[in-house]
Amino acid sequence: MPPIDCEDQELLDGFLAETTELLEKLDDDLITLEKSSDDTDLMNRIFRSIHTIKGASSFLGFDLLVKVTHKTEDVLNRLRKGELLVTPSIMDVILEATDLVKLLVGDIKAGDIQERETEGTINKLLPLLTETVTAPQPPAEVETSPEQSPIAPQPENSDSSTPAATETDSAPAAPAATPLPVPKPASDAAPKKAPAPPKPADGKGDDLSDNTTVRVDVKRLDDLMNQVGELVLERNRMIQINQDLQQNDANRPDFHEEFGKLTKRMSFVTSELQMQVLKMRMIPVEKVFKKFPRIVRSMSRDLGKEVDLQIVGEETELDRSVVDEIGDPLIHLIRNAMDHGLETPEERLEAGKSRCGTLVLAAIHEGNQIIISMKDDGRGIDTERVGRKAIEKGLITEEQFAAMGQREVFDLLFLPGFSTKEKTTDLSGRGVGMDVVKTNIKKLNGLIEIKSTKGLGSEFILRLPLTLAIIQSLLVEVEGEIYSIPLSSVLETLRVDQRQFHLIGGQEVLKLRDIVLPLIRLQKIFNVQQRGEADNFCYVVVVGAAEKRMGLVVTRLVGQQEVAIKSLGNYLANIPGIAGSTILGDGRVALIIDPVAMSEVCE
Amino acid sequence: MQNALVPVNADNLHDELIQLVSFNLDQEEYGVDVLKVREIIRMPIVTRVPNTPNYVEGVINLRGKVVPIICMRKKFGLSEAENDKQTRIMVMDMDGELMGFIVDAVSEVIRISGSDIQPSPAMVAGNIDQECIAGVINQAERLLVLLNLEKMFSRDEKNLFTGM
Repeated sequence: MPPIDCEDQELLDGFLAETTELLEKLDDDLITLEKSSDDTDLMNRIFRSIHTIKGASSFLGFDLLVKVTHKTEDVLNRLRKGELLVTPSIMDVILEATDLVKLLVGDIKAGDIQERETEGTINKLLPLLTETVTAPQPPAEVETSPEQSPIAPQPENSDSSTPAATETDSAPAAPAATPLPVPKPASDAAPKKAPAPPKPADGKGDDLSDNTTVRVDVKRLDDLMNQVGELVLERNRMIQINQDLQQNDANRPDFHEEFGKLTKRMSFVTSELQMQVLKMRMIPVEKVFKKFPRIVRSMSRDLGKEVDLQIVGEETELDRSVVDEIGDPLIHLIRNAMDHGLETPEERLEAGKSRCGTLVLAAIHEGNQIIISMKDDGRGIDTERVGRKAIEKGLITEEQFAAMGQREVFDLLFLPGFSTKEKTTDLSGRGVGMDVVKTNIKKLNGLIEIKSTKGLGSEFILRLPLTLAIIQSLLVEVEGEIYSIPLSSVLETLRVDQRQFHLIGGQEVLKLRDIVLPLIRLQKIFNVQQRGEADNFCYVVVVGAAEKRMGLVVTRLVGQQEVAIKSLGNYLANIPGIAGSTILGDGRVALIIDPVAMSEVCE
Repeated sequence: MQNALVPVNADNLHDELIQLVSFNLDQEEYGVDVLKVREIIRMPIVTRVPNTPNYVEGVINLRGKVVPIICMRKKFGLSEAENDKQTRIMVMDMDGELMGFIVDAVSEVIRISGSDIQPSPAMVAGNIDQECIAGVINQAERLLVLLNLEKMFSRDEKNLFTGM
């Protein structure tokens, strides 16, 4: 691996930042282009992006990158001039080329440039340059004819390129269609993970986005400076008051008033400041959403389903840390919706629906939470079938199933290893997806809700906290010890007479309206020593974790407070039921309860 | 810095001067490398952390950082004692993370040359893990046990700690 001989690191950083941004937008634009191919503005924008990348990379001497972008640019140019028409197959090739560019940029970013196999992709681009016939009808998606079959058994990771390869080859009009050397499976290009990136910064998968630098609106920065200025003023005032106090002027009648005022102003400035900084950490959820049209497109082609993906509220902002975590679960939910939820066009027509299924991905703010929902108008969840499958797999018994409500049946979906699919395919069937969703959402202290009507579709609703660094929490007391429960998972609190508790199989439960709530005594789980007389009355905090609901029994509710989460460090990282800690107003440490882990502790 | 105690075992570096913080624990005197000690504080309010080994006293707020506190007496299986005016917490840097250790008293910083350190006798009393004893310093009127606290948590314990 030759090191990058780029003298000016700053130049390189700039290039990487710009290119990454362009590439992210490119994917999105390309998909939009496929839908509205006569949008010249869009076309020009795409062309410019690729052109910019090409220019910059040739200036910096990244030859491979230049080669690929140059050819892509040529093809785009012909599309722009109307010499070629936008067809799905051409888009496939262009998208593949974009992927390759991403991979190459990823290499540069990781600091080790490798010889990548680019010929395969370039060879697919070439015929498009010479092809003169602007085939009025896109090459029909016929089954691969025998001559193309050698391409078929490609490694699975070149998924989208398979149809692409066959179709370009099969364009008979192309003069260049002299049997091309069977395009090397673009497998070298397809796996997105560069082998062993030396930088730890390189996170997972195809995420080129760089989360180590932030672009902040200058306006926001100015506001921040303003706030800091005010804070400095208040500090000076505080020093002044302290001096007065030292000189025994504290008896002055206005001291209390002064101090009270100062406290108010301080708290005002601090919370303003907190908001500002929080805002800077916020990025629009668009960053994640924009990957999806591409995924939906390739999946709908693979599955032979027609899907219209609608995205609502992509401008909703949330904390970077949350954005990083929701990508994976959302992909799984989309896959599920596409594979299990939506029907094939034929089935849809039979059911009296339109050919094309709709998938609505929406994000919206609600109080201190963000709600992301994934709704399809497919066949809905068949509770009967889910239950049958769970019994078959020995996850539940016949009697248990009979006693289950709809909600409990939906919960079965989250069990690891559960799948209604008979056969495991590339897309689904391993029973991993929903487990991933659950785990990630749990990690974020989020909740999952499923709504589904058989025949009409399903909706998965994720409720996530806006940020992970500072949370609203409910402080509770357990026999003298203070614990904090994230408010985002608190559903309600009740004061209950302990005589109302029931025992089912050794598990204490509470009848709460129409549900039976399992109870967890924090005192028992945390081995807190009893102090004083036991009181018949206690408080139950009803919490939800992902799809579970339970009640935590505490001695007293202390109040609601905004707390900053502090890690307990590596040594105490994995204490069951404890998510972290925070520091209270009096300087003491209070532990933050992890409602999710809690539910596992008691299982 | 991490290997500041390593030269101790290497024969050719006998003359290097090292500085130790010495502290008392149940009548005995111990020493740790001064470079590992971040600060020495009095006992603050400790918040108990449930479901941890008994020698984990809890966590404290050290100027906005939450630091776990280990009771050395319990860890070494010594008899428990009331905290008094002499009781201190030594906040140490353990592989990049802070951790506090409760000791009976901290006495001084001493300078010794590497050659004064002798390997610990093979059969040191059972409770202290052999692993974390880096050596013994036998001077005229004092006997000092040199500890390497990073080794204190044997691999099993670390797992127990993080994998519970």
